[in-house]
Amino acid sequence: MEPIIRVSNLQKTYRVIERRRGISGAFRNLFAAHFREVRAVDGVSFNIETGEIVGYLGPNGAGKSTTLKILTGLLVPTTGDAAVLGMRPWKERERYVSQIGAVFGQRTTLYWDLPVLDTFEMLQAMYGVPLERYKSNLADFSRILEMDEFIHTPVRSLSLGQRMRADLCAALLHEPRILFLDEPTIGLDVVAKERIRRFIQYVNAQRDMTVLLTTHDLSDVEKLCQRVLILDHGQLLYDGGLGELTERYEADNQLVVTFADDYTDILLDQAVLVRQEDRRAVYRFNSRQVNGSELVKQLLERFHLADFEIQRPQLEDTIRRIYEQRLLLPNGRQHPVASEEASP
Amino acid sequence: MNQVRLLFKMWSIQVRSQMQYRFSFWMDILSTMVLNGSYFLAIALVLERFENITGWTLGEVAFLAGMSELAFGTMDMLFSGYDPDQFSILVRLGRLDQYLVRPVNINLQLFGSKFMLRRLGRMFEGAAILVISFALTSIHWTLWKVIYLPIVFLSLVLSFGSLFVAGATLIFWTVQPIEAVNILTYGGNETITYPMTIYPDWLRKILTYVIPFIFLNYYPALYFLDKPDPFGMPSFAPFLAPAIAVIMLFLSFRFWNFGLTHYSSTGS
Repeated sequence: MEPIIRVSNLQKTYRVIERRRGISGAFRNLFAAHFREVRAVDGVSFNIETGEIVGYLGPNGAGKSTTLKILTGLLVPTTGDAAVLGMRPWKERERYVSQIGAVFGQRTTLYWDLPVLDTFEMLQAMYGVPLERYKSNLADFSRILEMDEFIHTPVRSLSLGQRMRADLCAALLHEPRILFLDEPTIGLDVVAKERIRRFIQYVNAQRDMTVLLTTHDLSDVEKLCQRVLILDHGQLLYDGGLGELTERYEADNQLVVTFADDYTDILLDQAVLVRQEDRRAVYRFNSRQVNGSELVKQLLERFHLADFEIQRPQLEDTIRRIYEQRLLLPNGRQHPVASEEASP
Repeated sequence: MNQVRLLFKMWSIQVRSQMQYRFSFWMDILSTMVLNGSYFLAIALVLERFENITGWTLGEVAFLAGMSELAFGTMDMLFSGYDPDQFSILVRLGRLDQYLVRPVNINLQLFGSKFMLRRLGRMFEGAAILVISFALTSIHWTLWKVIYLPIVFLSLVLSFGSLFVAGATLIFWTVQPIEAVNILTYGGNETITYPMTIYPDWLRKILTYVIPFIFLNYYPALYFLDKPDPFGMPSFAPFLAPAIAVIMLFLSFRFWNFGLTHYSSTGS
């Protein structure tokens, strides 16, 4: 089957103004600006199949938003191509956007001073959703998102979590086939996040909706995505399953030990002592070279222990390590200078 | 037809939103009436003392001011989505992007996005000044004059509107609103409330050949008030207003479309 999203060698170059320093520099900027080219997206290719939930990850300025803007038809790429639902998003904007849904993080599309329901009704008219479909969709989403309690409340008095739920519903009333989400859980508390995730899973399962989401919250990724794309400096570093990623790249485990007595020499051969406070010590070891239980055995032979615990690294640390150490350079290519910020 | 229905639906939403703050709404209407009315009052007091400005009596100047104020207020109500100051905020907050991911023409959405009912204050004020003018002057009403008056009014509205559209377009490059644009819009409105004879030659030339505001208010006024033309323009000069409005509107939307293309290739 044809992938629902096909991105090939996508590239987007911005010209950004190079600011001169100081007052005289600022003055000269007014007359002759220096431009510098920044490749926000630098040759990205991937396919997404119908029904996938894909996490699009990367540090700030990696080019995630730029990609999303291209895929939602807001930006024209410099070179390369993208076909979504068989259309070029930036070519036939009005026809294309009627078939996608997009939620951009903290920006709400709801009418601020009016009840949530007014925005929904407006969107029904804008998208030309048949009234019956609109009603049944609204009833369905409203039940799952538990919106009944605030659907008649003006948006300005909603909590952030309620607003986010309403925004999600607003993006889906016209039954899009693809949902683009930019930081859907940013700023929400745990309960609210969980609700949003459950809903995303629901529409994905019930309506076969394809979802591409960017997030900084890796528990979103762990709970929702079977597959992740990792982007840095405009280049795709990783495209594959989440399980495979953690298996391959989470290497350093931590061993936290509390001693029952005071010891002076607590160094181990196969682990690095990271911290020591009173009787508590933290070691780091490479889980692929060193067996954790072997380490514990060694410790038990030499010391009296009050407690010990082996901590597997958080996905967050794994991902950070991938960025920092550039573990996944595409085709062994060398990156452009790391200090270049690619976020215009 | 569908599009018109959609526009009215968006306007009704706007009206309901603005009516959420009833007190501020009425205060706004009242204060714009008083504030803008006071400018005219100043002119009126000067004319009281000097009888006329370069041959224009109070009633005649009131015609210029009334038309200009009524038209500007109307324009400000309809074209607020393009008000450069407002539009700059729209771009900076990313709201424009949200409009662009909806399957509705972007201009329709902008016209529907800010239906500023509180501009009624300025419209009332303009209408009141126009009524004063009709009372103080004795216009020889003919059928053609009755038909042409609303056409002139509409031409003024569209011409001011096209300045808003052009000013908003600049935001695609600058992001921040540019003060010089306000000189054209608000300054333009101010300039044409006075008879053109008070201005130096160079300024009048600009208002004739660069931004031809002279044909939108002054020349039509000469026609309505049966006053002679001191500048010796061709006799059809009072009737250029609709043509100029159409040309300005056409050019400004051409520029707008060009700006929108630029925006989609650069983002903001």
